[in-house]
Amino acid sequence: MTTTRAPLCFTSLSRRLALGLLTAALAMPTLVAKAGSLDEIKKRGLIVATEDDFRPFEFVKDGKPTGFDNELIEDLRKYAPFEIKQQILPWTGILAGVSTGKYDVAITAAIITKERKQSLDFTSPIADATHYYVKRKDDKSIASIKDLSGKTVGVQAGSALLARLPELGAMLEKDGGKLGKVVEYTSYPEAYQDLALGRVDYVVNTIINIKTLVAEKPNVFEVGQPVSGKSFPAWAVAKGNTELLEFLNGFIAKEKETGRFAELQKKWFGESFPELPVAFEPEF
Amino acid sequence: MSTADVLAILQGAVVTVTLSLTGILIGLPIGLALALLRWADVPVAARIVAVYVSLLRATPLVTLLLLLFFALPNVGIAIGPISAAILALVMNTSAFNCEVWRAALMNFPKDQYEAAQSVGMTAPLRFRRIVLPQIVRVSLPGLVNEMSLLIKVTPVLAVVGVVDITRAAVRIGAETYEPLPPFLVAIAIYAPIVFALVVLQRWIERRQVAVEALA
Repeated sequence: MTTTRAPLCFTSLSRRLALGLLTAALAMPTLVAKAGSLDEIKKRGLIVATEDDFRPFEFVKDGKPTGFDNELIEDLRKYAPFEIKQQILPWTGILAGVSTGKYDVAITAAIITKERKQSLDFTSPIADATHYYVKRKDDKSIASIKDLSGKTVGVQAGSALLARLPELGAMLEKDGGKLGKVVEYTSYPEAYQDLALGRVDYVVNTIINIKTLVAEKPNVFEVGQPVSGKSFPAWAVAKGNTELLEFLNGFIAKEKETGRFAELQKKWFGESFPELPVAFEPEF
Repeated sequence: MSTADVLAILQGAVVTVTLSLTGILIGLPIGLALALLRWADVPVAARIVAVYVSLLRATPLVTLLLLLFFALPNVGIAIGPISAAILALVMNTSAFNCEVWRAALMNFPKDQYEAAQSVGMTAPLRFRRIVLPQIVRVSLPGLVNEMSLLIKVTPVLAVVGVVDITRAAVRIGAETYEPLPPFLVAIAIYAPIVFALVVLQRWIERRQVAVEALA
């Protein structure tokens, strides 16, 4: 199942069949299902997708989903006049699932980027997610950003943090340095583990994730400095699903008004972000 | 790691075993049916089977799963994570099983078949009494090999939200920032599952030897 066996010997019939299948696969994007309108959602329920290993936003503790976003989903269940159906899955499939209409909304910390805005729409930001680096506590060779030159960095594949590494590259080049080797991971726990083992020299993630990590492992890791400009995470819906977007923004505005948003931010991130914009237009 | 964490991994084990067993139990007869279609050289069908098997053997399971999960709803077929996972496992394993069965069928002595024909056995009876018992014995090691591979490939099902042993372990590591203990527990669970399969294989083999000794 894992090894390549005999080479494919295509007869003319099978070649035609294979070409047919390929064409069908290529034609697929044009068939992309239209995202559910609010009327439709009222009938069948809202399908939300969340992650399972992105502490403190969403993670699983003793078999139960918990974290900042999961507590908000509990509130959303009371606020929404329809049923909420939650799907928990790894990051890899989430945004693809939302843009193809498999899920209505990704209730996770999806950083707003220019590229993602081409296929997704984002709600009001849920936190400040300026990117920081985290290093091993006992690594004396890194004291500030310029020491990162040429060193190996770990980030999540397909993440906004990866997409914005050139920003750090530009910072380093100003001092005559350059960005070192980039190692991509499917999720952050593996990146942290490799950092602890010395396979990478630093890991870039949002300040919130890094603070949580360092609070949990103060003897192993140390928070570094910001390596990006302003960056905000938000929930994502399919492009053009304005009705749902307005509904969710209304929910977020209400949570902000009642002070619940700040309370949850304090609980999960250690600080609240009262200055969050209602809408954010990314530069990157 | 708490007791609840170990329980979560055990829950993952239930999912791993259920999905692999379902995949094996459905994939095994489908593989045999496909192999028979090719062996009997049924016009058109044999060709289609050959293409199906080639395509499926060339497609990584995770790619197939993502395609089924995200593409099928576009053509109006609603499919949940578990059904998509089972469908992908069955499609994948049936292609590999087909080749194991086919190898046994190709080596099956034609004269035995003709002898059974000459004493007037019907086709279904010839297959059940003469062909099947012998190809099962020849295919068994290859089939069990494929089954153990299937069990160990189940972690890729996590990509659509199925929580198997490995995903349960990853989740615990993500919560505690200590990934090693859950992974050790996970490995300690995979070993007996695959071992049980091997024990089953030995048992079937021994039983066949015993039955033949009697005959």
